[in-house]
Amino acid sequence: MIQTSPREQTIVDTLKSRFPDAIKETRVEGKHRVLIEFEKERFIEIAKFLRDEGFDHVKGITGVDFPTKKIIEVLYYVGSYSKTDLEDLLLMLKTSLPRDKPIIASATPVWESAHFHERETFEMFGVKFEGHPDLRKLLTLDNWEGPPPMLKDIKFPEMSQR
Amino acid sequence: MIFGEAYEGIKHIFKRTFTLKYPYQRVQLPKGFRGRHILYLDKCTGCGICAWICPERCITFVPLQDKKEHPQNPENRFPQYWYARCCFCHFCTDYCPTGALDYSPDYELAEYDRDLLLWSPERLARLPTNVGEYRSVFHGEKGNMGVTYERVSEHPTN
Amino acid sequence: MTNNPNQQTPPPSPVTISQTKDPSTLDVSVGPQHPGSGHVRLLIRVDGDYIVNIDPDIGYVHRGCEKIAEYRTAVSNIPHLERPCIIDAIHLNWAYVKPIEELQKIVVPPRGEYISTIMAEMNRIMSHLYWLAINAGVFSGHTTIFMYAFGDRDLFIELAEMLTGARLTYSFIPPGGPRRDLPTGFVERLTKLLDYFEGRLVEYDRIFFSNPLIIARAKGIGVLKREEAIKLGIVGPNLRASGVKYDVRRVEPYGAYKDLEFNIPTFQEGDSYARFLVRFHEMKESIKIIRQALEKIPKGPIARKAPLIIPEGEATGRVESSRGELTYMVMGDNSDKPYRVKIMNGSFRSLIALPYLLRNVHIADMPIIYGSLDYWPVEADR
Repeated sequence: MIQTSPREQTIVDTLKSRFPDAIKETRVEGKHRVLIEFEKERFIEIAKFLRDEGFDHVKGITGVDFPTKKIIEVLYYVGSYSKTDLEDLLLMLKTSLPRDKPIIASATPVWESAHFHERETFEMFGVKFEGHPDLRKLLTLDNWEGPPPMLKDIKFPEMSQR
Repeated sequence: MIFGEAYEGIKHIFKRTFTLKYPYQRVQLPKGFRGRHILYLDKCTGCGICAWICPERCITFVPLQDKKEHPQNPENRFPQYWYARCCFCHFCTDYCPTGALDYSPDYELAEYDRDLLLWSPERLARLPTNVGEYRSVFHGEKGNMGVTYERVSEHPTN
Repeated sequence: MTNNPNQQTPPPSPVTISQTKDPSTLDVSVGPQHPGSGHVRLLIRVDGDYIVNIDPDIGYVHRGCEKIAEYRTAVSNIPHLERPCIIDAIHLNWAYVKPIEELQKIVVPPRGEYISTIMAEMNRIMSHLYWLAINAGVFSGHTTIFMYAFGDRDLFIELAEMLTGARLTYSFIPPGGPRRDLPTGFVERLTKLLDYFEGRLVEYDRIFFSNPLIIARAKGIGVLKREEAIKLGIVGPNLRASGVKYDVRRVEPYGAYKDLEFNIPTFQEGDSYARFLVRFHEMKESIKIIRQALEKIPKGPIARKAPLIIPEGEATGRVESSRGELTYMVMGDNSDKPYRVKIMNGSFRSLIALPYLLRNVHIADMPIIYGSLDYWPVEADR
């Protein structure tokens, strides 16, 4: 099975002891991946704690739409450049937002590298990041007034194979 | 100084050059080049795997116009290709279970009329027409970019 | 382009600290144009000859790659997902099949890994030669290096055509391993080409990298310090030119890189000239890697048959492409089509360096800084 090496287990245990009520589930998937699921209310404290631990940049932010479960999951991929014992770890932070009101605090004051990723998630999924300095559309047309394109409500049956 | 760098560029004026005069001199393409497809009518069974795997959905099935009997294809279904959509990935050639599709070096497929890009099975069954007389040979001299093109008949072995 | 007629000034620039509406500044739209690589538009605010700040207005090549990827089967997604950065197609292909192989629990045989590694390093040399010709050469006005680099790139393309059958759009690695084995005559021609190319790199150094004009234009321009590069999350050769020694081939070895020895060129200055030199030395390291791989390649099968269904779950895979760390996330739901594909590529992550570096510089420094970052708009927009 998957061997949990002590380093990943230490990170998971430290987080769980610091924020016992905010961490919902953790999973160590192999030597370089750790998945942490948390509640969105204490996101900024968790982010600041991780930044002080050594995770200094965000590799990507994305969303996944689950219309049957009525949630939108927001995923953060966080890594470290400055600490050599943490630099091969890919930390995945996951949270679930209600589909009709997806609002979460912005990570840009903590990690400046999250700037353009949050703009893209805002326009593709409709997730509002409160505290972002400049939240506006990035990739779609300037006069696009339709719904967020990546939600599963918009279908393209003519693109489907067969 | 700056004259050293200028000499680096100017010295190429005095070296040999070579120009391949396309379209009068054509290059022999390597085996397995991904041009248009060749269909072998006596091997196709009409199973439909090529249409299933095609990323651009450019294969549809039609019956043949001639009345010849193909016993391995009882429903008389043969693929027709719409080359306006094809991306020449040749997944269809690799996934065909009977080997009825093949690579060919034909790449000059332009037409003036868009409807002519829909190739019927009989048109796909014609043999390839692009035969190159020149083959690129690498010899490593720095003068003319290291490669020359020689007639295939001059050096029959590679 | 905005549709609001009442808006007098452009939207505020993203990563600067303060925006002041100074009547002495002028807003100039650089673009939308195709600087050799893809459509991009920069809205710059100038004060005389100095750029005050810029607003990158990207999205001109956005096609919805991730949305279309949910409508294609796992194998049919490969020609679709390798098109964003077409000069570096093997890396986009390889990073996509890694999570699928992890979910389907397939292990690629060693000979297949070596063939993919040889093809990937050839692709890195091809991509760096394109960068050298257009982004570093033509943008600074040096058209001789454009001719040299494109001529040498064509020799590598002919070799790739011998191996895969296509010049640029390979679609070479489905899940399970590469499609074809090395043909006869490939190894001899590649060895001769590598010897010839090493001599050509000396000529490039004499005519371009040691050229006093290029040094005067690029040294000290666009300095990205180490702390800033870490904070902004920069990747790839831009990061290694600022002093951070980070490469996915060392950090999480994949393919055949565990058995091969190579260096990772790193510089400390962080200016545009250091970013030029990193890619030049990376080409030399790629020659070394290909030579070792050709010696050590084992015999055996090249690929395993893969099932057609993606099981339920979520997996990520990452490679080191020419522009940086490329990460794919694939989520499956037990059908033949993926539920979600997310692409995090090097160009989009380096986009934040553009408004950060283009502040208080001359207008004439803008092409040098833009070219040294190697920003590929099609890959960033997907």
